[in-house]
Amino acid sequence: MIKIEHLKKEYPNATPLRDVNVEIRDGDVISVIGPSGTGKSTLLRCINQLEKPTDGKIWVDGVEITDPGCDINKVRRKMGMVFQSFNLFGNMTVIENIMIAPVDLLGKTKQDAYDTGMRLLRTVGLAEKALNYPDELSGGQKQRIAIARTLAMDPDVILLDEPTSALDPTMVGEVQAVIRDLAKTGKTMMIVTHEMAFARAICNRVFYMDEGGIYEDGTPEEIFDHPKRENTRRFVRRLKVLELAVSNSDYDYLGMAGEIRQYCNKNQITPKLENHIQLAFEETVQYLLIPALENPRIRVIIEYSEAEESAIMTFRYNGAPLNVIEQGNGLPLSVVKGIIVETEYGITDDEEYKNQLVLKLRQ
Amino acid sequence: MDRALNRRFYSLLTVLLFLFVFLTGLAYGTPARSESESVSRTDQTEAVPQGVYTSLDQLADKEIGVQTGSSFDLLVTEKLPDAKKLYFNSKSDMVNALLGKKIDAFVTDEPVVREIMRQYAGLTYISEDPLENFECALAFPRNSKGEKLRQEFNAFLARFKADGKLEEMEAKWFGEDESIKDIPVVPEGDKGILRVATEAAFEPFEYVRNGQIVGYDVDLVSRFCIENGYGLEMVDMVFDGVLTSIQTGKCDFAAAGITVTPERKENVLFSEPNFAGRIVAVVRVAKSSKDGNGFQTGILDSFRKTFLREDRWKLFLEGVGNTLIITVLSIVLGTALGFGVFMLCRNGNPLANGMTRFMMWLIQGTPVVVLLMILYYIIFGSVSVTGIFVSVIGFSLTFGSAVFSLLKMGVGAVDPGQYEAAYALGYSNRRTFFRFILPQALPHVISAYQGEIVGLIKATAVVGYIAVQDLTKMGDIVRSRTYEAFFPLIAITLIYFLLEGLFSFLVSRIRIHLDPKRRKKGEVLKGVKIHD
Repeated sequence: MIKIEHLKKEYPNATPLRDVNVEIRDGDVISVIGPSGTGKSTLLRCINQLEKPTDGKIWVDGVEITDPGCDINKVRRKMGMVFQSFNLFGNMTVIENIMIAPVDLLGKTKQDAYDTGMRLLRTVGLAEKALNYPDELSGGQKQRIAIARTLAMDPDVILLDEPTSALDPTMVGEVQAVIRDLAKTGKTMMIVTHEMAFARAICNRVFYMDEGGIYEDGTPEEIFDHPKRENTRRFVRRLKVLELAVSNSDYDYLGMAGEIRQYCNKNQITPKLENHIQLAFEETVQYLLIPALENPRIRVIIEYSEAEESAIMTFRYNGAPLNVIEQGNGLPLSVVKGIIVETEYGITDDEEYKNQLVLKLRQ
Repeated sequence: MDRALNRRFYSLLTVLLFLFVFLTGLAYGTPARSESESVSRTDQTEAVPQGVYTSLDQLADKEIGVQTGSSFDLLVTEKLPDAKKLYFNSKSDMVNALLGKKIDAFVTDEPVVREIMRQYAGLTYISEDPLENFECALAFPRNSKGEKLRQEFNAFLARFKADGKLEEMEAKWFGEDESIKDIPVVPEGDKGILRVATEAAFEPFEYVRNGQIVGYDVDLVSRFCIENGYGLEMVDMVFDGVLTSIQTGKCDFAAAGITVTPERKENVLFSEPNFAGRIVAVVRVAKSSKDGNGFQTGILDSFRKTFLREDRWKLFLEGVGNTLIITVLSIVLGTALGFGVFMLCRNGNPLANGMTRFMMWLIQGTPVVVLLMILYYIIFGSVSVTGIFVSVIGFSLTFGSAVFSLLKMGVGAVDPGQYEAAYALGYSNRRTFFRFILPQALPHVISAYQGEIVGLIKATAVVGYIAVQDLTKMGDIVRSRTYEAFFPLIAITLIYFLLEGLFSFLVSRIRIHLDPKRRKKGEVLKGVKIHD
C-alpha cells in the first residue's frame, strides 16, 4: 500500500530522518512511538507530502508521490490527516467543515455530503453541535469533529499526528474511544502517540523510531514485551539512563558523584535510592574494582525505571574474568550486598570490557 | 447591529452640528469686523483711511504676511530686512490673519487691496509709502514655440494700448460695477486651443465668478485669442505651480498677475508689461469701526456670500463631485492593485517580492503631494492628461500599497494549521487561499481598511496642487472672493465629515457581511433537506 525507500529529511539544523525503508500493508494499524525529536511526525508529514523529503522515494498504491509530476492533491484526497491542533476551519460551522471537501473535491451533492456528515457526527456523538462554530467547542469535541471531517472523504489511509497531545487529560478518553472504534473498521492507520497503553490496545504493528529511522519494527508483543534492541527496551520500560566511564585509577570521583546527583534530581529519584546509587558506585568502583584491576577501564550504566521506581546498575570492566561480588571481601562488599536485591555476572563478547556485573538496587 | 450603526451615524451628525453651532457662535460673537459691503465702500478716487501704521519704517521689526511663491517675498526681505515673515497660501488667509491680529501687515498689489477694502472696512494700506512700483506681464516658456506666442502677444498688446482699449479695460475691472465686468466668448479657433495657467484667486486680475474664471488678465487673454484665432482653456492651480506648468509644457503660457523679476526672467520669457502698479503694505485701520452686525445677520450674510451669491453652491457641488470621483476610483483601483500585487507575491516569488518592496518603499516614503507633482509634472509631463487622472493614479498607488500591507498582515494572522488542514484534504494552494485563508484574513483587517479609506478622503485635499478643483480647492476659491475663513472652512469640514461617515457606513456593511457567524441556519444549510 505504502512503500518508503531511503527516505531522508534534513532541516538546516537537524536531520530527523536519515534513512527510512519500510512497507505498510493494507489494513495495518501502526503505532509510531519513540522519544521526542526522532522524526515521528516528520515521517507522517512526509507520507502526505506536507513536508518535502530531502531524498528518497515514497509510493502510495503504486504511484510514486515523490515524483515532481505527481498530482499530490489527488493522492491526499485518499489520505486523511488528523492534527495535534485540530485545525478546524474557523470561519465555518461544524457541519460545513465536514461537508465542504466532499462537495468541492469529490463532486458530491450538498444533500449527500450533509447526510454523510450527520451520520459521521452521530458516530462521534456530536450531532447536536452541527451548527456550532469550532471556537464554541472543547478540545476533545474539536478533535472528534476533525476525525469526522477526515472520514467524510472516505480515505484509504488515515494519518493521526499526536491526536490527543493537545488535550486536557479529562478529554483524552473520548477521543481515544473514537480512534479505537475506527481501528476496528479495517482502515489502514498510522498514529503517532505517547500513550503507550493506548497504542498497544489498538495497533497490530509498532514502529519504534530512534537514531534517524525506524529503529525497531514489530508486533505490539514484540516491541512492548520482548524488545530486541537496547533503546527500545529503555523506551518502552521508560528507563532513564546515565552512563559513566572510568579510564584510569585517578578518575574524577567528585565530578562523577555530582553527575549522579544531577541525574537523580532530574528524574525525581527518592533520596534513599539516590543514596544507594551513590554507595553502590563508590564501593564497587573505588574499593572493589580499582584495587583488583591492573589497568582499570570501567563503564557504569545506571538505568532507572520510572514505572517501578527501581534502579539497575551495570558495571563493565576489563581484565581477566572476575566477579567481585563472589571473590571480593571486606567492608565494601558487605556494604554493597546490603543495598542490592539481585546480582548477575557474565562474560561478554566485548574485547575491551569482558566482564559485566549487573546489580539491582534495593528501593 | 444595523440599528446600532445607524444610531452611531446620527449621533455623529448631532455632535458635528453642535460643534458647528458652537464655532459659529465663537466666530460671530466677537464683533471684530464689519462685513457689510454697504457700510464702507472705498473707491479709487476716495482718500485711503489712515492705518495703524503710516509708513514702512514703522513696520521694520513687525510680523509681515507673504503669499508663498509670490514675488513679494524677496521684496519684503529687501525693504524690511528685520521684519519677521509669515507665509500664507492665499490672500484670504492673510486677510483673516491680519484682522485676527496674528500679523501686523501683509504685502500685495494695490488693485487687490482696493478690492479687499470694499469688503472689509477694518483694513487699509500705506498709500504714501509703497514698497515698489511693479510691472505685471504674461509668462511664456523658454522655447521657440513660447517665443513665437510672445511675439504674437506683444504685437497684439501694442495695438491694444495704442487704441486706448487697455485703459478702458483697467477702468472696467478695477472699478466697482460688477455688471459690466464680462468676458468675451472665445470661439474654438482654427489654430488650436491654448492652455493658460492661472491662479483664480487674485481678484480683480483673475477669479471665479458664477463658476467661471474671469478677471482683467482673462479678459485680455480672451481678446488676444479671438483676434489671433486661438481657442482658450484657463487652467486653475496654486500659484506655486503656475510657472512650473509652462516650463514642463503642461500649459502654453501663464496669465496670473505675475510680477516681472530678474530671477523669473531666467526661467521664462515675459511679454511686454500689461499692467503697472504699486506694491503696498496692508494694515488695519487706525480706529476700526466696531459696529458688529449681530449674530444672526452675520451668519446669514456669510451663508449667502459663501453659498448663494453667484450660485457658489455649484462650486462646492463640483468640488464634492471631483473629490468623490478621485476617492471612489482610487479605492477601486487601489484595492485591485494591492490585491493583484499580493497574489503575485503570495508564494514568495523573490523577483515579485523584491520589486514590490522597492515600489512600496518608494511610494510610502514620498509625501503624497510630492508624489502627485512628480506624476503630473515629470512622469506625465509631456502627455496631455487631466489632473483628476493623475490624482487617481497617485492615490491608487498609495492606497494600493496600503491594501497590500493590510492583506499581508491579515493573511499572516491566519493560523498556518488552516493551510495544512486544507492541503491534507486535497485542496490546491490557490483554492485553499480563496476558500479558507482569505475569508479568515479579511475580518482581521476590515477595520484598518475603513481607516485607510477615511485617510484617503482626507488626503485628496492636496490635489489642488495639480490643478484639480476638489472640495478644498473650491473652498479656497470661494474664500478668495469672500475673504472670509470661517464659513467656507467649516462648510468643507462638515462635507468631509459627511463623506467619511458615508464611506465608513458602507464599509461597516461589508464588515457585517464578512462575519460568518451572522448567517442564519437557512443560509448555512442552503440547498439541503434536513430530515431527522
